[in-house]
Amino acid sequence: MAGDGEPISEAEALEQLRQTEDQSRQYYAAWWLGRMRSRHPEAVPLLLAALRQRQPRDVGAGVEHNAVARNAARALGKIADGRAVSELLVVLDDADDGLREAAARSLGELRATAAVPLLTRRLASGPDVAGAHRSDSPRLQEPCEAMLEALGTIGVAEAEVLAVIKPFTSHGRPLVRSAACRALLQLTGETAWADELLQLLQHPQLQVRRAALMDLGAVGWRPALVPIQRTLAENSLKLIALRGLVENGSGHEVDSDDEAVLMAMDALL
Amino acid sequence: MTAASGDSRLAADRIRAFEQAGSAEELVVATRRLIACDDPLATVPQLVQVLGFNNPGAAVAAVDGLIALGPAAVGPLLANLDAHNYGARAWAVRALAGIGDTRGLDVLEDALATDVGPSVRRAAARGLGALRLETLAEAERQEVRERCLGALESGRGDGEWVVRYAVAVGLEGLALPLPPAHPQRDRAEASLGQLQDPEREDTLVVRLRAGVALKRLNAQ
Repeated sequence: MAGDGEPISEAEALEQLRQTEDQSRQYYAAWWLGRMRSRHPEAVPLLLAALRQRQPRDVGAGVEHNAVARNAARALGKIADGRAVSELLVVLDDADDGLREAAARSLGELRATAAVPLLTRRLASGPDVAGAHRSDSPRLQEPCEAMLEALGTIGVAEAEVLAVIKPFTSHGRPLVRSAACRALLQLTGETAWADELLQLLQHPQLQVRRAALMDLGAVGWRPALVPIQRTLAENSLKLIALRGLVENGSGHEVDSDDEAVLMAMDALL
Repeated sequence: MTAASGDSRLAADRIRAFEQAGSAEELVVATRRLIACDDPLATVPQLVQVLGFNNPGAAVAAVDGLIALGPAAVGPLLANLDAHNYGARAWAVRALAGIGDTRGLDVLEDALATDVGPSVRRAAARGLGALRLETLAEAERQEVRERCLGALESGRGDGEWVVRYAVAVGLEGLALPLPPAHPQRDRAEASLGQLQDPEREDTLVVRLRAGVALKRLNAQ
């Protein structure tokens, strides 16, 4: 199916990314190559070139160069080619927090253990510094959710990593708490972190309930089946969460109850 | 609302309360009360109306109510399909998919093939495997199943995993009542085989669901 924009072919997408006159075309082409998980040999080199186009932010410049670079960073994660790791590691220290966020997510998707020291260093100052609110935007100093999720996905369960993540389970924002609990549950398998996530399924804000659904799905926490079914949220999100329980199964009795989860999914269609 | 009308189970009283509902929350409550009245059939026009209100809580309650009323709700649903109100149409497709009346076949086919919303396409795919054919003559059943199969076979190529998942569910529902070696059952099984094949289907949960469907079909 065509995506949200005009339908283009892989060859057109590569051409539009290669040219540098029209950045909105580059922006769309980078997104397209990631969405289609392009396997074309030119895709990764062109996306890396687009990632290197980044520059200090110039908010007045319309579609800025960094918008292209951010989409390139995201696409490199989706394509999951190991050649992207070293450049994404550099981006993790970029001044643009949107780029750091995209790089963190992609390094997570790439399961890049080399990113763990950098991610923990940027988060080490804890919720009061790395997790502090910025004065100029609703964002935090560091893209904490993306970085915490990446640490959980990459899966290095060393004591120093856990010690950096734990303080974020009492961050003022429930979405950050959810990301921290998700990472700790992935890394330790300790039920206490799952209980926190199950609590968040009943949070008064829909946005928080949605995040907890996605997080339990990402961990594949099987004991969450019934709480997910009971959560007040759209069926579409519950289906994604339950897909996660099947595909990423963890917790108890993995494999033994696939069919129970599938039947729960059927009931949500 | 007076205490007396609040306690009344009469359809007329509950329709009046529904029409006076002022807030989104009151509308959800009033819709639930319509379904639980003494004559729910009399409330079908209101239930159909709710689908166009852009109030998801109330629409979910209305869809449940319409599905519970079954074939009696199909005429009003089809007569009020609104091509210009996307949300209302999506809810109506879900209601028709849940009721399983063959008069909804045109709408379900069209929704699976062309609707922009994956949630609508997935409901249509499930519905195409759950049409109630018991009352039809065999030739007619054959013809309806042929159209459902064609629509589901095309749906296998949908770009969204959740729609392909629903296609697997639909194919299972369509094939289960058929005797072994029935040509349409064979076609459904061939389609499920493709959805189970890692070379053709890249989403694990879709392959697993197709596998469960084939296991159930082979167990008979």
